[in-house]
Amino acid sequence: MPTKKDKALETALTQEETAASSGNGKEESAKIKVNEPLLHLIVFKLGAEYYGIKIEQVKEVTVTPSITRMPRTPDFIKGVANIRGDIIAIMNLEERFGIRPDTSVAASDLTYTLVIEAKEYSIGVVVREVPQSLNLAVSKMDKTPSFLQDIAVQENYIEGIAKVDNRLIIVLDMFKILSSDEIKQLSN
Amino acid sequence: MKSREEEYKEIFIAEALEYFDALNRHISDLEKRPQDEQILAEIFRLLHNLKANAKAIGYLNISDVSHKLETAFSLIRNKELSFSDEVVTVLFEGIDLLGELIHNIDNASYGDPDPVLLRNLDIIVDNLSDSTIELAKVQRYNTSKNLSLSELVYIQIKKLDHLLNLVGELVIDRDRIVSISRELENDELKNVSSHLNRITEDLQYSIMDARLVGIGSLFNKFPRIVRDIATAEGKDVDLTMAGHDIQIDRNILQIITDSLLHLVRNAITHGIEKPENRLKKGKPRNGSLSLIARNDRENVQIQLTDDGKGIDLTQVRKAIVERQLLPASTVEHLSDTEALSYLFEPGFSLAKEVTEFSGRGVGLDVVKNAVDSIGGRIRIESQKGKGTTFILQLPTSIAVKGALLFEVDEIFYAIPLIHTEQVVALEVEELHEVGGVMVADIFGETITVVYLHELLNVKEQEMNLGDKTKLKGMVQNIIIVSYNNRKLGIIVDKLYRQQDIVVKPLSKPLDAVELYGGVTLLGSGKVCLVLDVPAITRYFISRKQVLAGEHNF
Repeated sequence: MPTKKDKALETALTQEETAASSGNGKEESAKIKVNEPLLHLIVFKLGAEYYGIKIEQVKEVTVTPSITRMPRTPDFIKGVANIRGDIIAIMNLEERFGIRPDTSVAASDLTYTLVIEAKEYSIGVVVREVPQSLNLAVSKMDKTPSFLQDIAVQENYIEGIAKVDNRLIIVLDMFKILSSDEIKQLSN
Repeated sequence: MKSREEEYKEIFIAEALEYFDALNRHISDLEKRPQDEQILAEIFRLLHNLKANAKAIGYLNISDVSHKLETAFSLIRNKELSFSDEVVTVLFEGIDLLGELIHNIDNASYGDPDPVLLRNLDIIVDNLSDSTIELAKVQRYNTSKNLSLSELVYIQIKKLDHLLNLVGELVIDRDRIVSISRELENDELKNVSSHLNRITEDLQYSIMDARLVGIGSLFNKFPRIVRDIATAEGKDVDLTMAGHDIQIDRNILQIITDSLLHLVRNAITHGIEKPENRLKKGKPRNGSLSLIARNDRENVQIQLTDDGKGIDLTQVRKAIVERQLLPASTVEHLSDTEALSYLFEPGFSLAKEVTEFSGRGVGLDVVKNAVDSIGGRIRIESQKGKGTTFILQLPTSIAVKGALLFEVDEIFYAIPLIHTEQVVALEVEELHEVGGVMVADIFGETITVVYLHELLNVKEQEMNLGDKTKLKGMVQNIIIVSYNNRKLGIIVDKLYRQQDIVVKPLSKPLDAVELYGGVTLLGSGKVCLVLDVPAITRYFISRKQVLAGEHNF
């Protein structure tokens, strides 16, 4: 729905401003050469690393609503939540990817949820810190880093690696985030 | 509310007027292209339907005129009557007469159709391609036609589905507003919310009503089907039907159509014996098959009974053991209805013995899945030599379900009432640990009981379904659910109330999780999980088997 999409963009933009004040987002966009196509990412932390999702795949960013556990679903499914009348599954990507949570940061009660619109479903992804919005030139993303070959086939949810100011951002392809095997696992 | 007859009449008139409009259009086309077979066929079809519908509802004038016109057009189609100017005039007049008859159905003072025109019609039909001199001039009918639009609109079921979904959302929000207004103690808000409550309910029931169709719309197809199958099988079958007027949601009817067809086919091919065998057994020569629909509380019950050879229970029991579904010792004590329920197991009926002796064909599990998918129930009753009855219990509407609300480990759950038998409270002493599960004597029946918290929330490796000490408190609330003739008691932490809920199906990827039939939003805004009783029962049985297996090794 176009209206919701706009809202998502709005949220992202306000966050871009917050990001800029902390010295991140806007500097990047300033450096970008004219004419070069842009990649607009929503960036968040999982464990100690930065991850990014293309903004087209993010429908909305919201404070995590109350989640109802769903017994007998995989651990990375935190449960279901009511987001504007839609009941969607909420997923913990740290558990999904087996990422050690960053223990250096005190766990806060307030978390954020990115509502991802994948091809066939919407799903919520919980993150600990406010996600940031980031523009970068497409050329800054390495689509075929050599290490990807070392990763098992079913882990091909990584679309590429972006390098920005010594920061490494792992760009995820959310369309591939739930493999068919895992959907099957859900049904068992 | 109008009576059913009144409603049928309105539908007939609206349809007839549509036919009339279409006839006018086609005959005008035909006048320009007299050779067009397709137009002729279409006119023929329209007249034929009109004739049949009019006859069924008792408007003999209309069916009579339609019949005459139909005959004329069949002659034209067979090239036995030329589409000459005189003939065209009579046919146009005949169609106009139809229109007039339809418009005047309610007009008692209308009288009989013009005899001259009727005679003209007879003449062109009887005299074939002879000279048409005898045709008498009729007074022109529609010199000043009134243009009017139909009283009935056709609507795609998809649009009704969408409306129903929207109303479902509205009901959820309404519950939330009603609940907030109760907390806020504001009189004005209370008034508005109680009005909103009534309006939403009205809207919801109006939309549900708009989706209802008479079961007759499906039943009416069976006389022909039964005849065809019986003829092919060399059997004589008398079909009796009742309850055509029973109303049911159109989509539910659609979903069970194939199942019902399957059951009817089974009953004729495998159930009912050949005439000579029936006579030998002292049964009447013709087999009888009855298809009865009736309202049963909020549900609709469809009962299909044949007086064929019935199902041999000893063969069923044998097959259960052979297929290793249950050990022989258990099967002995299985009640007849429980044993019959195994016929719904996937692939079960493929067992050669069963098909040979009891003759129930393939695919009962498919029927069961269809019924399960709409939250209905199915059961079999059968007596060897006397016949078999299938009883389908179906919800009237898909979206709104009566449900029982409860809590386990701080999560809200609901179970649709169609699957609940009763609710009891028992002391822990009344529960007994037997063979790795808990059982209780409930009104003289020994029923397996499971603590839902243990079944759902404890790690599968650590699950212990027979451990009473895991229960909290002295008195246990138990909901007895029933699936496929098997009863299971479910112990819940807190039992709330009975409530009509709007079930929202789970969206992808969660729709793959079988244990839940969907979710509903409570007035408090909390998400409540709707348990799928068939899936819970299956899950319990599979866990029980795994645990029993671990015990043995």
